[in-house]
Amino acid sequence: MKLHHLSWLVISLFFSIGFSVVVQAEELPDKQAELNAKVKQDGQLYLTPAPLSTIPEGEFGDKVRLGYQLFVNSQQMRDAYVGNNLNCSNCHMDAGRRANAAPLWAAYFAYPAYRKKNDKVNSFEERLQGCFTYSMNGKPPASANKELVALSAYSYWLGMSGLMQQAGIDSAVPELSDSELLKGGKRDEIPLPESIKNAMTLEQRASLPGKGYPKIAKPAQAYSPERGKKVYVAHCQSCHGDDGQGYETSGVYSLPPLWGPQSFNWGAGMHRVNTAAYFVYENMPFGKSYQLSNQDAWDVAAFINAQERPQDPRFEGDIKALKEKYHKHQGYYGSSVNGHKELGSKAYPINPKRSD
Amino acid sequence: MMKRGFIMSALLMLSSASYAAMPPQAALCGSCHGPQGQGVEPLGPRLAGLPSDYIVKQIKLFQSGKRQNSTMQPMAMTLQGDAIVAVAEYFSAFDVPMVTPHLRGEKAVYSDPTEQLVYQGDWQRVIPACVTCHGPSGHGIGEFPRLAGQQASYIKSQLLAWQKDTRSGDQDGVMDTIADKLTSAEVDALAKYFSELK
Repeated sequence: MKLHHLSWLVISLFFSIGFSVVVQAEELPDKQAELNAKVKQDGQLYLTPAPLSTIPEGEFGDKVRLGYQLFVNSQQMRDAYVGNNLNCSNCHMDAGRRANAAPLWAAYFAYPAYRKKNDKVNSFEERLQGCFTYSMNGKPPASANKELVALSAYSYWLGMSGLMQQAGIDSAVPELSDSELLKGGKRDEIPLPESIKNAMTLEQRASLPGKGYPKIAKPAQAYSPERGKKVYVAHCQSCHGDDGQGYETSGVYSLPPLWGPQSFNWGAGMHRVNTAAYFVYENMPFGKSYQLSNQDAWDVAAFINAQERPQDPRFEGDIKALKEKYHKHQGYYGSSVNGHKELGSKAYPINPKRSD
Repeated sequence: MMKRGFIMSALLMLSSASYAAMPPQAALCGSCHGPQGQGVEPLGPRLAGLPSDYIVKQIKLFQSGKRQNSTMQPMAMTLQGDAIVAVAEYFSAFDVPMVTPHLRGEKAVYSDPTEQLVYQGDWQRVIPACVTCHGPSGHGIGEFPRLAGQQASYIKSQLLAWQKDTRSGDQDGVMDTIADKLTSAEVDALAKYFSELK
């Protein structure tokens, strides 16, 4: 078996060395590749992270707190690493604590993860950098900088405190070094209390219930931006505005823009119609006073994502080539819909300054 | 939206120098809300600084009966056509005391449970942070009223009205659903908290 692997490696290296390896190293990797979304199970129990008031005093606790603060007010990083008006907490409800709203506690234990797309193992830190590049339309912080450490520390602390609570362990979350924090939780070396190790395998911890956004059934009719517009006007507009640009008060867009120059770009996971439909069905309207139908969730996701937004950072001048390479999924990049020319052809700038 | 924001801030700037003349239809409103919409407790809540979109919507909700109040329903009926927007913009434009916004993330831990509800919500009960829609420190925007500095007795009566369903007309029942989850102690505490943000 080993020998077989080795010979395959030698053969592929022979073909790729000096060519694709170099090319890949220079390309922005696809870190927002589609997760394998799962259908929500009735009666499912989810991890409950400890309350923020129990974050310990001291250096490690300070990193965890900073992570929370950056997560709910990401605009502190505007112009440095963030290039739009979004905050992480816009798509990760309850500051990354809520199940089925892409909780940080589930993501942390899913990394490092192998990604077929860039044929490489991605650490948690690299996944966070992907969020800055795509969802935040910005420039990722350099490896191991304090923001990445803080966001990793916050994610780890939520996840580990949740696992410990589930296992009935009543002690402080073990502190990790910065370099350990950045790697992610899907590693045999991560220090875990024995009872947690015995309760779940590494793979089980990497796919905790409530991870990502729950998959919903395909719509009865093919999703339609035209029908979605009606759904938008009826259910979304009062918070996100008739132009989708959200509302600003005292300098804060707590009601975020959904498209246009200040929203996520064409490389972000949320631009995929299915990802947005899963998110919307489960988490919108805010506070869940109303449940959209399956069809309405798909249609409104299509409407929102058939609008122009900032360019895909992997764009090198050829929309068709990029579409062929990175957009073979349910999205409208490179398509002409809803009266728009080819979407992407009028895309907004990547990482604009606030003053632009 | 950008345009609306610009117009609103332009109006605010104008208003600090000289306020617009009172539209004739606003005189009646002024008798309970104060001539500058400053509010007269317990007759009428403060209108100054409320988003004009919000005031317009509320007048229409009184007219349709979705918001029930034996005084305000006949009063709202006196406003028709362009007068609704004129009155809304008139009162909206008055200055209110500056409240330095407390931004989410300034603190990770709130020892006061009311502040925690305001800035972090209580997601175990699916109660989002008040400031998500009402803006930092409850400054208000669009269809979401300003809470900072509003009368405590009024905020309380409105939360109770949502609970009793004598107030409705919010988009998809968002506020109705949240208000129904609040305990009476939380209603009192939230009303007090926002009224004291001055």
